[in-house]
Amino acid sequence: MTTRSPAVDALLARVRAAVRAQPVTVAEVPAHTVVRRIARDAANLADLFAAKAKAVGMRVTRADDASLDAALAKLLEARGKTVVAVRDAALAARASAAAGARLAPNDNADLLFDCEVGITDVDCAIAESGSLVVSTNGRIRNAWVTPPIHIVIVREHQILPDLVDLFAERPDALDAASTTIITGPSKTADIEGVLVTGVHGPAAVEIVLVRSVLT
Amino acid sequence: MNPLIAPQLPFDMKPRAREAVRDLKLQQFVGNATHLKDTQRGGIFDRDFGAEYDELRTVARDTKQYALDHLDELLERFIANAEASGAHIHAAATGREACAIALDIARAHNATSCVKSKSMITEEIGLLPAFEAAGIKTLETDLGEFILQIDGDAPSHIVTPMIHKDRVATAKSFVRELGARYTEDPEELTKIAREHMRGLYRSADIGVSGANFLLADEGSAVICTNEGNFDLSVGGPPVHIVFVGIEKLIRGARDLAPFLKLLARSGTAQPLTIYTSVVRGPRRAGEHGGPKELHFVLVDAGRSGVLASEKRDLLRCIRCGACLNACPVYRKVGGHSYGSVYAGPIGAVLTPELERAQGNADAGLSNYPDLPRASSLCGACYEACPVKIDIPKFLLHDRARLRERGLSPASEESVLRIWRWLAERPALFRLAIGAARLHARMLGQREVTQDGDRAWLTRAPGPGAGWTATRDLGFATGESFREWFATRDNARGVR
Repeated sequence: MTTRSPAVDALLARVRAAVRAQPVTVAEVPAHTVVRRIARDAANLADLFAAKAKAVGMRVTRADDASLDAALAKLLEARGKTVVAVRDAALAARASAAAGARLAPNDNADLLFDCEVGITDVDCAIAESGSLVVSTNGRIRNAWVTPPIHIVIVREHQILPDLVDLFAERPDALDAASTTIITGPSKTADIEGVLVTGVHGPAAVEIVLVRSVLT
Repeated sequence: MNPLIAPQLPFDMKPRAREAVRDLKLQQFVGNATHLKDTQRGGIFDRDFGAEYDELRTVARDTKQYALDHLDELLERFIANAEASGAHIHAAATGREACAIALDIARAHNATSCVKSKSMITEEIGLLPAFEAAGIKTLETDLGEFILQIDGDAPSHIVTPMIHKDRVATAKSFVRELGARYTEDPEELTKIAREHMRGLYRSADIGVSGANFLLADEGSAVICTNEGNFDLSVGGPPVHIVFVGIEKLIRGARDLAPFLKLLARSGTAQPLTIYTSVVRGPRRAGEHGGPKELHFVLVDAGRSGVLASEKRDLLRCIRCGACLNACPVYRKVGGHSYGSVYAGPIGAVLTPELERAQGNADAGLSNYPDLPRASSLCGACYEACPVKIDIPKFLLHDRARLRERGLSPASEESVLRIWRWLAERPALFRLAIGAARLHARMLGQREVTQDGDRAWLTRAPGPGAGWTATRDLGFATGESFREWFATRDNARGVR
């Protein structure tokens, strides 16, 4: 730990005095269930996730373990020729070979700018918002944001009902140096409110949702 | 700093407002965009939270108020946890100090180029001009902010900074500043900006951003964007600086969900922003990409003064922009009329308060005497606020202070005196209102709306002229309230 600067101590002293200058009006953070409303009564998390992901502009392909390679190859075929794979390199190698794409080395973040597709898995996914949670745990930072297309593999058992389940019930959820919750393709409406995708991040997010086999 | 958001003081709002009202294009853009966003906001909350929306707001209000009431504890915890994850912590009492800290960091790395993610606090402290003056070429990476930057313009909305500009202006600036071919297609324009910036993300010496939330338990910062520019700004350069106001602290991830769900829905009617990025310390051993050094500059700049005052509630603001979209005055006069980084209803109360907290006690309101009156007190801002800040209450409070100090304009005082005199004399009152209604009907501007016809009195005679110089007085063209009330009673047989 570094030694604290006088400026930091001065800030703490000012804040301490300021806090005491007014009465405490909220002594405890309220407990509640309201925030979980959307996923509260969901019958099928995979269906809810797929519907919400589509609603924010991502595409969803359903697959199982047997059809995963083919699904990836098909998505790659129509698209880029240079891909980068993160973590499950063997899977991406199979898929890119099937699609005739070149696999970039996955240990150089700068190369991401020359890749046409980034393939990643997720830490988990959120049903109520259709969100993908990716982090630097075992992945090159920004593999999900730098290439113009993001192909992402989600397994059904990775889907959590709500953000609350990520934050409140997984104490290690935000342990990585960087965690990004993705809820759609990169977008802007800055120019006259017209929606444009692919500003800095990918214009297309392709989710392959893999059925989980119950054991 | 740009005089649009840092004008000469005391600030006179009226010339800018007058100009904005006459600008038909601006009326159309700002009017349409804010109305649409306001409607969409209502729609998504209805769909997703229904009758429980109000409860969600209450939860968010109390969670943030708790954080403010315990800000000293949270700040200590944040600092300890952020340092434990390898981040450097700096504290700035003023905006000037915050800029100086950043310049020291930049100098230590011989930085000459910077990529910057959109942030209100860096606008507030004037970071960009400070960097440019020191020879650090700084790129605004948010598309809207980038367009404003190359035009020497300033943001006029917290969330949609170039709400006052159109595609034609953008097309012309891209030809002039980037040597691009002329196109008015937003998709093409976006592509041009994207290509312009991609190389700069890779080569910049330093990255800069704000933060939407600070998590005390984790020592992390949460940054919300739609474009993905934050992830790229923090991922490339070897050094990253997060500037953040101390009021952004919450307990931790356990309290984050209500705010994330409210922020994007309130601002742009999205369930969440496209990217919610959580940064915890610098790049770790064995990782590829990410800053080797991460700095937090904790900015006070008046916040501890607001915290100590009866306006502590204002620090709950999460900068969603919903009150701007809901405000009938903002919709008419646009963001630059407020002469501050923070426009709209929240700006009208926050700007003088931050000014007061940083200067002598009287400086706030006497430097911004028009802001407390830039409201119809209709309460739409309070209704729209996801953390239930009672903005009208604070506006009224400021109006009372203005009056105590004799800062209310003479025209307003005389009209109120006449009003009071008339209100105590019912027969005369009825006669005067009747005459004003007749005057408006004969000479005013007629307007047909969903809610019925209206006649607007735009120029009142005599002592009323001062009042109508900055307002129009509206009258329903149907029967008067007294007439309606009389027939209603008779029809129901009351009395």
